[in-house]
Amino acid sequence: MTSLFRWPSGWDPLGTLRYMQRELDRLTGRSGFGEARRIGGGSFPPVNVLNGPDELVVQCEVPGVKSEDLDLSITGETLVIRGQKRPPVDGGEVRYQRRERGFGEFTRTIVLPDKVDPDHVEAALEAGILSIRLPKSEAAKPRQIEVK
Amino acid sequence: MSQSKDRMTVKTGAVAAPAEETTFTPFVDIYETDDGTTVLTAELPGASPGSVDIRVDKGVLTIKADGQLPDVGDGYARTYTGFVGGEFFRAFALSDEMDRDGIEADLTGGVLTLRLPRAAAAKTRKIEVKTG
Repeated sequence: MTSLFRWPSGWDPLGTLRYMQRELDRLTGRSGFGEARRIGGGSFPPVNVLNGPDELVVQCEVPGVKSEDLDLSITGETLVIRGQKRPPVDGGEVRYQRRERGFGEFTRTIVLPDKVDPDHVEAALEAGILSIRLPKSEAAKPRQIEVK
Repeated sequence: MSQSKDRMTVKTGAVAAPAEETTFTPFVDIYETDDGTTVLTAELPGASPGSVDIRVDKGVLTIKADGQLPDVGDGYARTYTGFVGGEFFRAFALSDEMDRDGIEADLTGGVLTLRLPRAAAAKTRKIEVKTG
């Protein structure tokens, strides 16, 4: 499962469409079954990209994935999140009555909207949500230019 | 989250389905182990142990939780949105064979695990056939 998306200068061309689809689903009563939380096209794991003045924040929803099973790498402006979601029971005889969560390996490739400083990237996993803070490189930060 | 066990208890009493717009149905896995215990795991990303409300009423088990996204602060523009925060809600009918007082709950890594032991009366008994 690999997905790649790119947008020109920090603009997500499909964002509005996705938002409209979610609102339509809500009005027609189709929402409310798990998938509704994910606005995107169903690529796993779902991600959010937030653009701040000094840093970018990437949030990634990975419930049940352990931090040792996650692998992050940055090459230039490309962030790759690799990981593995393990089944709730490893081996042993159990009888499943319902299986919705799924498991397996996943890869998500994100082209960042700005240049970042790869040496100062911080990642934290809390309550199944991975938060990656990527400080912008000096060249990408907005600068105020004084008019003389 | 090692403190989760102390803070989560299974309550009794009816609970109404939430009416909020952003209510999601969590994904679950339900399986039965060899000793007859039913294990339910539900994905509740962003939920803290304090926000999880598990209740048993008239044979219905309800799970309610608040799955909010981490607060990043002000001044951030959304460049791409793949998921949003909101409330989780799901209800299940419980079999009479479950020991309702023996339910154990644990929340780790955004996954809630409920262990529902089988009631003593419902345990399989081996009946010996006497030959005479």
